[in-house]
Amino acid sequence: MTVEQNFEALDQFPVGMRVLAVDDDQTCLKILETLLRLCQYHVTTTNQAQKALELLRENKNKFDLVISDVDMPDMDGFKLLELVGLEMDLPVIMLSAHSDPKYVMKGVTHGACDYLLKPVRIEELKNIWQHVVRSRFDKNRGSNNGDKRDGSGNEGVGNSDQNNGRANNRKRKDQYNEEDDEERDDNDDSSAQKKQRVVWTVELHKKFVAAVNQLGYEKAMPKKILDLMNVEKLTRENVASHLQKFRLYLKRISGVANQQAIMANPDLHFLQMSSSHNGLDGFHHRPIPVGSGQFHGGAPAIRSFPPNGILGRLNTPSGIGVINLSSPPAGMFLQNQTDLGKLHHVSSLPLNHNDGGNIPQGLPLNLEFDQLYTNNNNNNIRNMNNNKSITGSSMAFPSFSTQQNSIIGAPNNNLVVLEGHPQSSPPGFLGHQINKRLEHWSNAVSSSTLPPPAQNSNSINHQFDVSPLPHSRPDTLEWNNVSSSYSIPFCDSATTLSPPPALDTTNPRAFCRNTDFDSNTNAQPGGFYDTLQTRQSGNYCPTTDAMLSSSNPKEGFVVGQQKLQSGGFMSAEAGSLDDIVNSTMKQEQSQGDLSGGDLGYGGFSSLRTCI
Amino acid sequence: MLGLGVERLQADINRLLASLFHQGVLDEQFLQLQQLQDETSPNFVYDVINIYFDESEKLLRNLRLLLMDREFSDYKKIGLHLNQLVGSSSSIGARRVRNVCVAFRSASELRNRPGCLRGLEVVEHEYHYLKNMMHELFQLEQQRLLAAGVRYPM
Repeated sequence: MTVEQNFEALDQFPVGMRVLAVDDDQTCLKILETLLRLCQYHVTTTNQAQKALELLRENKNKFDLVISDVDMPDMDGFKLLELVGLEMDLPVIMLSAHSDPKYVMKGVTHGACDYLLKPVRIEELKNIWQHVVRSRFDKNRGSNNGDKRDGSGNEGVGNSDQNNGRANNRKRKDQYNEEDDEERDDNDDSSAQKKQRVVWTVELHKKFVAAVNQLGYEKAMPKKILDLMNVEKLTRENVASHLQKFRLYLKRISGVANQQAIMANPDLHFLQMSSSHNGLDGFHHRPIPVGSGQFHGGAPAIRSFPPNGILGRLNTPSGIGVINLSSPPAGMFLQNQTDLGKLHHVSSLPLNHNDGGNIPQGLPLNLEFDQLYTNNNNNNIRNMNNNKSITGSSMAFPSFSTQQNSIIGAPNNNLVVLEGHPQSSPPGFLGHQINKRLEHWSNAVSSSTLPPPAQNSNSINHQFDVSPLPHSRPDTLEWNNVSSSYSIPFCDSATTLSPPPALDTTNPRAFCRNTDFDSNTNAQPGGFYDTLQTRQSGNYCPTTDAMLSSSNPKEGFVVGQQKLQSGGFMSAEAGSLDDIVNSTMKQEQSQGDLSGGDLGYGGFSSLRTCI
Repeated sequence: MLGLGVERLQADINRLLASLFHQGVLDEQFLQLQQLQDETSPNFVYDVINIYFDESEKLLRNLRLLLMDREFSDYKKIGLHLNQLVGSSSSIGARRVRNVCVAFRSASELRNRPGCLRGLEVVEHEYHYLKNMMHELFQLEQQRLLAAGVRYPM
């Protein structure tokens, strides 16, 4: 959409916006209704929260915005707020006669996008459409990457409700309904494979490793390992492929000079890594040196990861939940996925999250990883400056978890969800961990200076060559190198982004790192959440830069550092989004200014908690 | 005769309104309410104010019942009722009623029973005063409309 088109859509949009107004006080409801009609919105009113929920549930796409009173006899307004946010993902504005900051805070934490005080003034109501636009923009950015088949470009306002609805459903359900296979299956239209995949849980892997050790690494043969492990429903093929990966893993980490890094969780690390490898053809071709058995930093291993892991299916909701870091390298993985059936080892691992059968199996893996990851990550972050080796592992984790996210379908969502969950209601809770992960990534990506990869497998090989890099730089920068190295594979042809000669401007699709979070500060949760969503799409990278910088300059983004370029692709659109965002921001602000002193209502203050 | 009557009535209305504003009984929100009245909703103010009266009277009655009860302890409920009163009063521009409700609410938050009783008295007083004024206003308005030859929809 051109800039003009976008503006046009915006111009028309507030008119006819469908609002659902809920207030048990008939007086206020009537006044609100009239005021809203005056703003040319389409208004539906009810004085019962239950009725409101029914109306919303009846058809999620029937309304754009909900305005609800806080104190209602049949249901607490905050509860309604939560439910609406959960089920329908609509923007909700709270209304109250109470200006108690605690209420306002509660509104924010429950996800309200604004909190208005009674008496409501028309100037404020004239602005409420911004919340709809904002949430649509965010959803579009989020769903864009994963919803390519819908052909949704950078449509903020003009985007179809279905798209939003679907994206909303996907996101919300993924976040809150971990078991909601239905939703995912609906969206995983390309899932044709329904093979039962073996999920290599930590326990299973431990058994495997124990068996291997018992047999002796050199002599470990799949059949013997299988016998030793004595696990039902595990086939020789499963073990064989797992063994192969294990060997690759060992080779990889032994090639890195990173000490200690994942010593603590070698099993975990391997599992994380191996699951990401699944789709890689490249691995088959690599020589597999018998490793030293020592686990060094996971960084190099991660580097070879390639996007396989990450992508997974962009078009599936699964990987896309809150952290869309995983979305970018879609191309690669998709390509590989078609070959999946051919790879025997693939079949034994939970590659394809489209596979319905995976979902329950994948859960434990991800959950565990998640916990371990976040623990490790947090630890790593703290020790970051002190311990070089740890930084390596900290880098490992971020990529892992995100890669895992995509690879292991539903569980990925869980993984994401676990961290994103708190965020979904109101930002700020787990934002931390995600923040940090992102920090790593973004830092890493921004300062990488690795040579561009030629191809998939070649690039992987390069990774190893580059391994010394992490150690050549001090402390925090180390991560940058380490992680940046694994950005290389992402710059693969599949992603359609030209491999940048200097990875300073890395393929934004690889890692949604639009914001270079200052490693020591956590970006404001709300903004963070937004950025997470915005990260999904490489298209939006520059836009989110602008958006973030315009929306909250205090977030400490080192936006300038990372010139996220979407390989030149979307710059035009990004530019237009920028403009729109900026213009809406300006509009908001100017309107906000007007409302401030306009009618001079004595003592009426509207608390804008969300601007 | 009609014309003169209209002007006189209009003057009376204006005077009454000015006085109410001056006393702080009404505030600018009431003006906004008036602005919402137009051809599409010619009786908007009248309708809304009537709704307000109905609702408020129910609330006040409940409040009185609650407070009169010897074993009264449900201050939270009082708070809820008051919240609604505050909201609706402020929405129609009944500033004084709103303010005394806020004071009453504070007393209820402190669980101050005598304070609440006093608060209730004051609120009831203010409310009735407002109601009388509004009635007078509507009467004048009705007469004015009749005088202007417009049929006042009943």
